[in-house]
Amino acid sequence: MTVTLVGVAALLGVVLMRGLPALGPALLFGDVSPLAAMTGAVPVWDGIWPACAGTFALLMVALGLAVLPGIGCGIHLALFASPRTRVLLGLAVDLLAGVPSIVMGLFGFTLLLALRRTVAPDASTGLLLASVCLALLVLPVLVVTTRGALEALPAQLRLTGAALGLDTWGRLRHLLLPAAGRGILGGVLLAAGRAAEDTAVIMLTGVVASVGLPAGLGERFEALPFTIFYLSSQYRDAVELQRGFGAATVLLVLSLTLLAGAWLLQRVLERKWRGVLPVSHCQGTSEDIR
Amino acid sequence: MRAVRGVLHRATSGRVNGRSPAEQSAACALPEGLAARLAGVRVAFGTRQVLHDVHLDVPSGMTTVLIGRSGSGKSTLLRVLQRLNECLPGCTTTGRVLLRLDGRVVDAYSGAVGDPSWLRARMGMVFQSPDVLPLSIRRNMDMTLRHVLCLPETEVAPRMEEALREAALWDEVHDRLDENALGLSGGQQQRLCLARALALRPAFLLLDEPTASLDIASARAIEERITSLGHTRTVVMVSHGLRQALRLADNLVLVDAGRVVRVWNRHGAGLPDVAELEHHLED
Amino acid sequence: MLRRWKGGVVTTVCALCAASVALALVAIFAFLCLFALPVFMDGQGFAVIAGDWKPATGSYGVLPMLQASMGVAGIALVLGFPLSLGICCGMNGLAPSGVGQMFRGLVRCLTAVPTVVYGFAALFLLVPLVREAAGRGTGLCWLTASLVLALLVVPTMVLVMEAGMGPTVERVRLTGAAMGLNRGQVMVHMVLPLCWRHMAGAAALGFGRAMGDTLLPLMLAGNAVQSPGSPLESVRTLTAHIALVLATDSRSGTYGSLFVAGCLLLLLNLAVQLVLRVLARSGAQFRGRT
Repeated sequence: MTVTLVGVAALLGVVLMRGLPALGPALLFGDVSPLAAMTGAVPVWDGIWPACAGTFALLMVALGLAVLPGIGCGIHLALFASPRTRVLLGLAVDLLAGVPSIVMGLFGFTLLLALRRTVAPDASTGLLLASVCLALLVLPVLVVTTRGALEALPAQLRLTGAALGLDTWGRLRHLLLPAAGRGILGGVLLAAGRAAEDTAVIMLTGVVASVGLPAGLGERFEALPFTIFYLSSQYRDAVELQRGFGAATVLLVLSLTLLAGAWLLQRVLERKWRGVLPVSHCQGTSEDIR
Repeated sequence: MRAVRGVLHRATSGRVNGRSPAEQSAACALPEGLAARLAGVRVAFGTRQVLHDVHLDVPSGMTTVLIGRSGSGKSTLLRVLQRLNECLPGCTTTGRVLLRLDGRVVDAYSGAVGDPSWLRARMGMVFQSPDVLPLSIRRNMDMTLRHVLCLPETEVAPRMEEALREAALWDEVHDRLDENALGLSGGQQQRLCLARALALRPAFLLLDEPTASLDIASARAIEERITSLGHTRTVVMVSHGLRQALRLADNLVLVDAGRVVRVWNRHGAGLPDVAELEHHLED
Repeated sequence: MLRRWKGGVVTTVCALCAASVALALVAIFAFLCLFALPVFMDGQGFAVIAGDWKPATGSYGVLPMLQASMGVAGIALVLGFPLSLGICCGMNGLAPSGVGQMFRGLVRCLTAVPTVVYGFAALFLLVPLVREAAGRGTGLCWLTASLVLALLVVPTMVLVMEAGMGPTVERVRLTGAAMGLNRGQVMVHMVLPLCWRHMAGAAALGFGRAMGDTLLPLMLAGNAVQSPGSPLESVRTLTAHIALVLATDSRSGTYGSLFVAGCLLLLLNLAVQLVLRVLARSGAQFRGRT
């Protein structure tokens, strides 16, 4: 146990120790003023702001593509599927989850080749292709967490909903989804974390080392993980190395923030659904009344 | 204009006295004085047959109590009325169930019903263990008032008070409606479930061993409610206690191995005594 | 009226989502197999899998890479499995209870750490260490990659093992104590034998994850094309191979072997999933008997 702790602490410690001092506007924007950089007026060449923007754009598009199918599939598996479908579809989801990210990138590549040969001869790698592959990568996470959250609800809940006269949509909207909302939201944020940190997929579908802010869905883009990777092997001087450490720190902080955000949001969501007064407002807890 | 449209509609849809031919024949099969009639009802879960060819008449405005050994199918029979068995996996139901709802006669399992949730909303079900949702008391009541009945904002609070008073819970909870329902005692939770069902102003009240998980004092309170409610609406109840059944029933139905074996009527031939009932159960 | 067909719409939408997930999986397998097929048809046949990688002579075999992938993942498993087991046992009673709880939260946090950050940190911390310890080479070798991979898969394995061990410990703790066994003995003689399926499942999952990772072998294993010999030699895994070849944009002669490599990875993933399912099913039968 201590071995793991020491190992992980050492690795992360190195990153943080050398990365934290590097944090600051210079890391993000280089020599350019922050406002100009953020609006895209002046291109940033020695800061990681374009990579941050690229990662953000990637996250938004990938999640936008994956959230509905993922949650819908999870609901279907938990509530509507026949036993045989459940087995087959469950296997399909597990297989999808096990596909290595580089193979997913390769799939994107073959998709591009196929498109080039048939429908769109001048298609090229870009934000949309990378987002599609990332969406496929995080789909299993969404499906599995949604399914798990719904199946963990007590079976009586569905019967109660039906007995009250709620129809299918009513039960989902007012009872089941709010009750499982915590888990589902956790799944979405887990998926976001996975999409933000994956490098192999985007390497094959359109990320480059420096091209500026994401220009459009069909254009190449930058992303934080790839910048880190690139800098790790291609740094030319100490400044660039520092930038690498700074970028690694930023990515680490982003991932951990998503995790913490998930936890916090889940607590708030739970309290909102229950509609109860916070404990501090009562004289005692409601348990005392019994 | 509306009168003309009404005449045209009736003329083209073949309705007589405002009823379609199907409804007409259904109405004939359900005489006045009966709230429900089950004819040839069979229920199976997968390969396991639970109810075999059940025939039962449920009189209006009276309390019908189903008794029988455990595993005899009483709860399944109760759930047939509200079409709740469909929510359990692998269920097949055949037969005819006629219900009198809002003055009309409905064949509950016919295709004309469509999505059964409107049917379920005309009846209230209370389960054996209180199934309050882990929300505030207000939110529990909101489930039926806002989401099923879709009442306008102004009507929600008065209806909630009305239902809670009918369940004899208003005095105990009116000042803590925003507290978690799980903090209530067992008896109070069961009365909340009752209130939640009563908020629908249902034609039928279905109770599945409502006092089984309660202590004696709470059980008495619930029984009192059932007695007073039974005067104004049709109550169908499953009971686990013979004495309770004899106290509450106007119509006593003995169920055994998925069949209705005997029916006694308090106002007709009279109810048996406990010893006789025990004897029947042991057979 | 509106409510009636809303229910139908909801179920249809969910079914469509489920279908799209299944379709995605089929598409991935189909595309990769379709593109890999010509390689076999062309006459190269199994030379691609069994042969060596010498582009100059026109031999595009991926055997060394396959061996490297298995080797790297294997050593990572050998290193990581005992660590996971230790952490799991610690969380379930062998360590003081406060420590166990803390570890649970910590492990959950660790699953969020990006791979590329591990790689980056290891590059500057571990590689020099290995270089000095070995006395020769660059430090970029099989051993380095396996060490960090082990750290990567430990959190996942711990979570899977914990899912099985936690309930088992709850079940047998009182029984064991009543028989006079201390905590360690309960763990060794009662819990572990009952949970071996979860252990095996965790191992399979960890192996699959290690096989499928790209960044760590790419950054740390050296990427020389040779059959793995001593752990201090540089190797190239299948995943790194795909990334390197596509990234350098060589001519399409080499692409064929990439698709074959991709298919191999998919097949290995399929094998892992089948092993997991067989384990789960035999576990269910076992539970049914007792």
